[in-house]
Amino acid sequence: MKTGFRVFLAALLALGSSWCGFVLGPVLQLGAEKQTTILNSSDLYPVGRPGEANQGLQVYRANGCAACHTEQVQQSGVECEVVLTGAGKNPAAVTNVISALKLNGLNIDAANSAVDKITAAGGKAEIHITATGPDITRGWGRRHSVAEDFLYDDPVQLGSLRIGPDLADVGTRQADANWQLRHLYAPRSVTTDSAMPPFRYLFQIQKIGDQPSADALSLPKEFAPPAGYEVVPTPQAQELVAYLLSLHANVPLHDAPFTQPLAVSKP
Amino acid sequence: MSDELKSSTPQKPNTEPTSSRSTVPMWIIVLTLVLMFLSMVYFDHHSGWFNSQVYGPYASAEELESYQPKSGEAAMLAHGKARYDQVCGLCHGINGEGKPGQAPPLAGSEWVITKGFERVAHIPLEGLSGQLTVKGQTWSLSMPAMGAAMSDADLADVLTYIRNSWGNKGAPVTAAAVKAIRAKIGAHPQPLSSDTLKALPE
Repeated sequence: MKTGFRVFLAALLALGSSWCGFVLGPVLQLGAEKQTTILNSSDLYPVGRPGEANQGLQVYRANGCAACHTEQVQQSGVECEVVLTGAGKNPAAVTNVISALKLNGLNIDAANSAVDKITAAGGKAEIHITATGPDITRGWGRRHSVAEDFLYDDPVQLGSLRIGPDLADVGTRQADANWQLRHLYAPRSVTTDSAMPPFRYLFQIQKIGDQPSADALSLPKEFAPPAGYEVVPTPQAQELVAYLLSLHANVPLHDAPFTQPLAVSKP
Repeated sequence: MSDELKSSTPQKPNTEPTSSRSTVPMWIIVLTLVLMFLSMVYFDHHSGWFNSQVYGPYASAEELESYQPKSGEAAMLAHGKARYDQVCGLCHGINGEGKPGQAPPLAGSEWVITKGFERVAHIPLEGLSGQLTVKGQTWSLSMPAMGAAMSDADLADVLTYIRNSWGNKGAPVTAAAVKAIRAKIGAHPQPLSSDTLKALPE
């Protein structure tokens, strides 16, 4: 059985090394991931989803939304902008310094040296950090997605194809629940040339009773049901929309820094 | 035709043809392994040595650190407040008012509103035990070195926040200054007492 032992060793090596790479490595790297604080704030991130949104994740999964939508914003670079916050006692000197400087599209070292020069002239300046990249330009988010974003997702719906737009930050982008419902029932009623199939089975078309339902969708004529009927979302549609509205990835974190205006302090 | 046949005929017809075992020269194997190692080092180096905080355009933890928004006094104070509320506020109170039996006040404390910040910076780095008089009241408590585990920038922001809130006024504390004080203290901090604290420069 000399060969048998060798086969065993070879199989052990092959499976063991791939286990180390695919299981052990990621667990060592990200297994201990936990809530973190938002930059310049004591608020924790992320907070868990409400129950309805958690069920919505399962609706999202069941309908295969991840086949066409991703939930990961990419970032290709980072840019700094120097913003003057005070001219000091000698504005002329500060103006002279500034006119000789490039103030945006800088890397951090150039921005720091620009701030030093302005400070030396008596002015005050701040550095504003912005994430850049095609996804950010499209308005899909303000920074790249990080592991913390997916802390409460089970299973994580990363997705890999972008037939539709990225949804990592859709709750911030389109926070109107009625818009989301109309979009699910008839995508082209809100976005012309949408490639998304309508998810009509998540809705019910019913005869209007004594009173029209409070949940009934207000649709343009083209998409509206026949007179005397109304379109009402099923619980699945409500859950899915609750999930979509809970998708936010718009706060600066240590691993994805950017500058945002200081939050208004809570009363 | 006959020539071809002749050449394809084995020299010794009764032995099986064999190939030598060393078909790949040793130097190619060694070179491949060296290249694999170097490319792995390159890969690790450019992905922050698998640091879970380092993503995308950032190549290392140091680079990421340099991009943390820390400029501006407003941002410094906001960050200082965040850390203070988490670490210090439990005993000293969110408004620096102190808590009877737990910790003396920081608002208006003569140990905080000193001219320089060296003395106050020593307290979170080394801890404090024994009697201490704050605003005419004697406290007999001990404080662990709560700031020893904080980064220089964090502690600088917290100290700046303490010295510029609740009516206190003081010059901002820089991370470099905290680093210098930490270096002065060395690796084995001893809890301060009222006397050793007074012996320190302000």
